[in-house]
Amino acid sequence: METSKNLILGVYDNPDKTYSVTKKLISSGYSVYDVYSPFAIHGLDRVMGIKRSRLSVAAFLFAMTGLSLAVTFQVYVSYFDWQMNIGGKPSLHIPTYIPITFELSILFTAFGMVACFFIVNRMFWGKNADIMDIRVTDDLFVVAVDTKKSKADLGSLNQLLMDGGAIEVRERTKEL
Amino acid sequence: MEHAEVHIREEKYQITEGNKKWAFGLMIVGLILAAIGYFTYHPHIEGLSEHDLHHLTTKRLLANLLVNGYFFFIVSICAAVFIAISQIANAGWYVAIRRIPEAMSEYTLIGGPILILITIFGLPILYHWAHEGIMTEGASNYDALLAGKSWYLNKPFFIIRMSAYFAFWIFCAHMFRKYSRNEDEIGGLTNYHKTYNLSTAFMVVFAFTFSMYSWDQMMSIDAHWYSTIFSIYNFATGWVSAITIIYLFTHYLRGKNYLNVATDEHQHDLGKFMFAFSVFWTYMWVAQFLLIWYANIPEEVAYYKTRLFGSYKFLFYFVVLVNFLIPFFFFMRRDFKRSRAVGFFVGGALLIGHWLDVYLMTMPGAMNLATDPSDAHPAGIIQVPFQGVGIMEVGFLCLFAGLFLWVTLKALTKANLYPTKHPYIMESALHDVGI
Repeated sequence: METSKNLILGVYDNPDKTYSVTKKLISSGYSVYDVYSPFAIHGLDRVMGIKRSRLSVAAFLFAMTGLSLAVTFQVYVSYFDWQMNIGGKPSLHIPTYIPITFELSILFTAFGMVACFFIVNRMFWGKNADIMDIRVTDDLFVVAVDTKKSKADLGSLNQLLMDGGAIEVRERTKEL
Repeated sequence: MEHAEVHIREEKYQITEGNKKWAFGLMIVGLILAAIGYFTYHPHIEGLSEHDLHHLTTKRLLANLLVNGYFFFIVSICAAVFIAISQIANAGWYVAIRRIPEAMSEYTLIGGPILILITIFGLPILYHWAHEGIMTEGASNYDALLAGKSWYLNKPFFIIRMSAYFAFWIFCAHMFRKYSRNEDEIGGLTNYHKTYNLSTAFMVVFAFTFSMYSWDQMMSIDAHWYSTIFSIYNFATGWVSAITIIYLFTHYLRGKNYLNVATDEHQHDLGKFMFAFSVFWTYMWVAQFLLIWYANIPEEVAYYKTRLFGSYKFLFYFVVLVNFLIPFFFFMRRDFKRSRAVGFFVGGALLIGHWLDVYLMTMPGAMNLATDPSDAHPAGIIQVPFQGVGIMEVGFLCLFAGLFLWVTLKALTKANLYPTKHPYIMESALHDVGI
């Protein structure tokens, strides 16, 4: 597996330019590694061909885990292990389990999704963030082209990025 | 930004022959079914006198009118709430479909007076507290508990309250429509700001008045019983149903090649609303049920005893299953919220479920017969078992559904199908919820 990527960055000052240059790059056969923007640009995800996140599936599985654990625990505690008479209610009765089951499902979903998000994005404690260009945290936009995966001619890439209105084009290596 | 080109079209809905057939067909068939149901209803319940049984027929007729009048009225007023909430939130996405809730809210003009009429006729028959003598000391059926509430629960005050609420709500809904239609002509931001200001006032007043209104109209049917979460639960019923109808209308109009600015994205967001507020409805339902069930205080449990252990048992569970499980498991998927076929299935199921929910709130209390308090009937009430959802119920549902459909479709023809000069119309047309 490769450990670093050679990228060519085009820096833009306008979301519309970023959007149209990304579209043009992809249609000309370049591989866009990622686009960095201070805010979400509508429609960009579709242009980049990003697949739908599977986070919702993970969320459902976490919820089911929480639900089954909650039901198991409550049935064990209140029926098998130590029955108690509370207001004359039966020990094994579904309505009493609803609030705790509901809360635990949500708790597991919330924590599980946050954990998933960190793992998928490789955000660990102590890891330094490798920011593509510090200015994308403020007012600029960066389109990063993967040189190895791109099928089109890299010689004309510079011209294409500049034509799209780039204020700067440069090379960069990103450690994975 | 390069996007698909959006053309803002000025088009009005044209009522088709099919629409007419459906709306009037529903009304006529409904009326016939209701009449058949009414004249063929001869209850036989042991231990009841001939007079009581005759009284039961009237009760069932008026209770049906109340169920449908209430259901369709709260749906149409919740459509006005939808406009007000979106306006206050400065929402942009909903503008493409805004004329649908506007059209639905036009039903309040007819539904409000109808409901007031039903209530005037139904008060002494359906509402236990409004019976003759209940609040008169010394009468044979005197009920001290209800007499203590007489300063609030009395007929003149009840009707005055109700009329005042309705007048304000219907006025606001009317002004929303007026501003919106005026905007199509003059453009600019004047009407936008006016709607915003009125929406804030409407929402504050509505929150309080709807609570009180639902206590009056629905909770006071079981006059001994009270629940503090009842009004928000009723609001959830109306709100989910209103959004479901907006969702179905959007699907329908898009299928007829109207509403070119509304896309699957709008459908998706409305679907999310249906999903979210179905869960919200269930939350309210469980919150009300669980506390009363756990605390087990006799005066509170009475409401659930008739529904949970009596002949209403099946309906009681059925309503929860339909209103929770169907939207929860079908609309959890993204592509189902966008699908026309699944959308119609879930939407239809939700509407039936919430109608049955209103039915279940009304019927057991409204069908009860009054008697003198005794050891056998300490609350002065004879429980009447479930009389079934028969042709009378179906008939009245069809009648009101046809009326609602007709008024809404007619209202859609009165203005452009979407507000062409609304400041957010382009934002709404380009609305995108992402991948």
